[in-house]
Amino acid sequence: MSRRRGKPAEALRAALAERRILVVCGSGGVGKTTTAAALALEGALRGRRALVCTIDPSRRLATSLGLSSLSGKPRPLDLSRMGPAKGGALYAMSLDTKRTFDALVERYARDDEAKKRILGNRFYREVSSALAGSHEYMAMEKLLDLSGDERFDLVVLDTPPTRHALDFLEAPDRLLSFLDASVLRYFLRPYFVAGRLTLKVATKTGAIAMKLADRFLGLSFLEDLSEFFLAFESMYDGFKERAQKVHALLRDGRSAFLLVASPSDAALGEALYFHERLREKRMPLVGFIVNRTHPEPSAGPTRRDAPKPDLPASFRDRLLQVHEDYRTLRRAEAKAIGRLEVDTGQAPILVPELESDVHDLRGLHEVGRALLPS
Amino acid sequence: MLLDDLLRRRLLLLSGKGGVGKSLVGTAVALAAAERGKRVLLVEIDAPKEAARFLEAPPVREKETELVPRLFSLNLRPRGVMDEYVRRMVKLSPIADRILGSPIYDRFFAAAPGLKELMVLGKIMTLEEERAGWTGKPKYDLVVVDAPATGHGLSLLKVPIAAANAIPVGPIGSNARRILTLLRDPKKTGLVIVAIPEEMAVVEAAEFHRMAVDEVGMHAVAAVLNACHERRFSDSEEATVLRLSRAGATGRLGRDVTLDQALVSARRHVRRRKLGRFYETRLKRALPVPVVTLPFLFREEIGRAEVALLAERLAEA
Repeated sequence: MSRRRGKPAEALRAALAERRILVVCGSGGVGKTTTAAALALEGALRGRRALVCTIDPSRRLATSLGLSSLSGKPRPLDLSRMGPAKGGALYAMSLDTKRTFDALVERYARDDEAKKRILGNRFYREVSSALAGSHEYMAMEKLLDLSGDERFDLVVLDTPPTRHALDFLEAPDRLLSFLDASVLRYFLRPYFVAGRLTLKVATKTGAIAMKLADRFLGLSFLEDLSEFFLAFESMYDGFKERAQKVHALLRDGRSAFLLVASPSDAALGEALYFHERLREKRMPLVGFIVNRTHPEPSAGPTRRDAPKPDLPASFRDRLLQVHEDYRTLRRAEAKAIGRLEVDTGQAPILVPELESDVHDLRGLHEVGRALLPS
Repeated sequence: MLLDDLLRRRLLLLSGKGGVGKSLVGTAVALAAAERGKRVLLVEIDAPKEAARFLEAPPVREKETELVPRLFSLNLRPRGVMDEYVRRMVKLSPIADRILGSPIYDRFFAAAPGLKELMVLGKIMTLEEERAGWTGKPKYDLVVVDAPATGHGLSLLKVPIAAANAIPVGPIGSNARRILTLLRDPKKTGLVIVAIPEEMAVVEAAEFHRMAVDEVGMHAVAAVLNACHERRFSDSEEATVLRLSRAGATGRLGRDVTLDQALVSARRHVRRRKLGRFYETRLKRALPVPVVTLPFLFREEIGRAEVALLAERLAEA
C-alpha cells in the first residue's frame, strides 16, 4: 500500500521477479485471464519457470493461449519462437476440482477403508464435482500444492470474478469451520451413532435444528451427510494444517495480489471493494491494472496552419464524429480512473486496447509489453 | 418477431461471460416487455442493484419495487432468501430467531455447497408461481433473471440436478425436482445468451449453450450480441480510412483534431465494426437460435435514455 504514484510498473516488475505466487483478481470480462497469462509469459521470458493456472470453471485461459483445452495437469507451452531467457519456461493448467478433492482425501484418509467410504459417499460425489463453492475450496488447496512444486518458481493464478474470488480467499476458513469437529458432534453425530433418527442433542435449539434438517433433507440424506462428516473428522487435523499453510502462504512475502479492472465504474468499483478486503485480511497488493483504455492518439507532424485534407465534407464530418465519440468514451474512462486514484492513492497501470484480439502467445506478449514498458 | 417469442415465456434467464453487459441487456428486455403492457419482474442476484441505476431509480432493496410502470425489480440475497425460508418453515418466530441467530446456522449456510444456489432458484420458482390475490392470474407475466456469469451461471443451473441426486427425499429434494421441471419446460422457460463481439465471449456463449442444453436440459430462445459498432462509413470510405492511415496522411480536420488522430479513431471503429460482423456470423453458426445485435454506446453515463434505445432495438428485432 506504500507504493507511490507513478511507480506502478516498477512494483509489478519487482513482483514478477521476486514473488512465487501472483493472484490476479477482478470482476468478469476485464481481461483477468489474459493479464494472468501475459504475466506468466513475461515471467518465463525473463527466465522464470512460470505456471499460469485458472480456477474459473469456464475455459478462458486455453483460448488466450491459443489452445483448445487445458486440463488439471500443467502443460508446457512451446516458447522457442519467443526467445525466453535461459531457464525460462511456461506451463498452463486449469483446476480440476474433483481430482484435487480426491487427491486431498487420498492424502489424509486414515486408511483404505476410510478412503473408500468417502470417495463412495453420495454427498461427497455431488459436492466434490462441479458444484459452486467447491471450486474455491479446492483452488486454495491446489495453490498450496503448486507452491511446493519444484517444477515452478512462479505461479500466476487467475481467479473467478471478484465476489467469487472473495469466497476463494475465505475458502480455507470456511471449509474448516464447516468441518469443525465440535460443530459436527453437535449437529450430526446423533444420526450416525444411533443409525436411526434420534435427537440426543445438547440443547433445545439443536433439537429443533435437527428436526428441521430432517424435514427439509430427509433421513437418508442426513445419514449420507453424517457419514461424510464422520469420515472427514479423521482428516480434520490434516485439513486444518493445510488451511493454516494457505493462510500463511497468502500473507508472507511469497505471494502478492493484482487487481484488474476495465475503465468502467462497475469494474473499478469491484476492484476497490476487493482492495478493501485485501487490506482487512492483510494480504499484500502489488497494484491495479486497468485494461483496454482508449488513450488520445498523439497528433503527428501536422502544423497548426495545415490545410484541410481533400475529402468530401460528409466523410470529414463523420470522421470528426467518430473521433468525438472516442473522446466521450475517454472522458468516461478518465473519470472512473480518477476516482480510483483518489480512493486508493495509487495510479493504476493502464493497458491500451490492442489493435487485435489476443488469442496467441504473440498477442499475450504485446499485452505484457504494455504492462511492463521497457 | 423476437420479442413476441420472448414474451411467450414466463421465465427468461440471461447468462453470458462477465462484462458483456448482461445487466444492461436484462434491463432492456424487461423494459421492452413492460412497454408491451406486460407486468415484468427483473431479478438480480446478489448484485449491486444495476437495473435501478440504469433506470435512474432509487436502489432496490430486497423487496419488489416498481421502477417504471409495470417493471418491478428485486435483488435476491441468498442469505435473505434462506432466512425467509426458515421463517416460513418454522412458524414460531422465537424459535426461528434462535435458529437464525445460532452460529451453526451461520456456518452451515456459509459452507454448505450449493445451498445458496438452490435457495435462489427456489425463490425464483416461487416468484414465477405467484398469483395475484383471488383471481388466480399470475402476479407477473414475465420474470427476467439476470443470472451470474457463464461459469457460475452453469453451476447455478446444475445445482438442482446435484441436489435431486443427493437428496432423494424430503422437501428440499422435491423442490429441486420441481425447479428442474420448470427450468426444462420449453414453453415456460427460455435462456437468453448474451455476448459481445470478442473471441472469448463468443466461445463461452457457445460452450454455455451446449452445456445448458446437454447437461441441464434447458432451451435457449435467443442470443444477444451486445456492443456492436454500427456502420458509420460505406465500404469504400472504410477502405479510404485504412489507405490514408497506412499512407500516414496528415492535415487539419477540425479545430483541435488532426487527420492522423481522427484516422486512429476511425481505424479503431472500422476494426470493431468488422469484428462485430465476424462474431455475429460466428454466433449465428454456433447457436441454433435467433441472434439480435445491440449497438455499442459511446456515452459518458448509461441511463434511462440508453436503456430505452436498446429496448426499442429489441422490439424491432
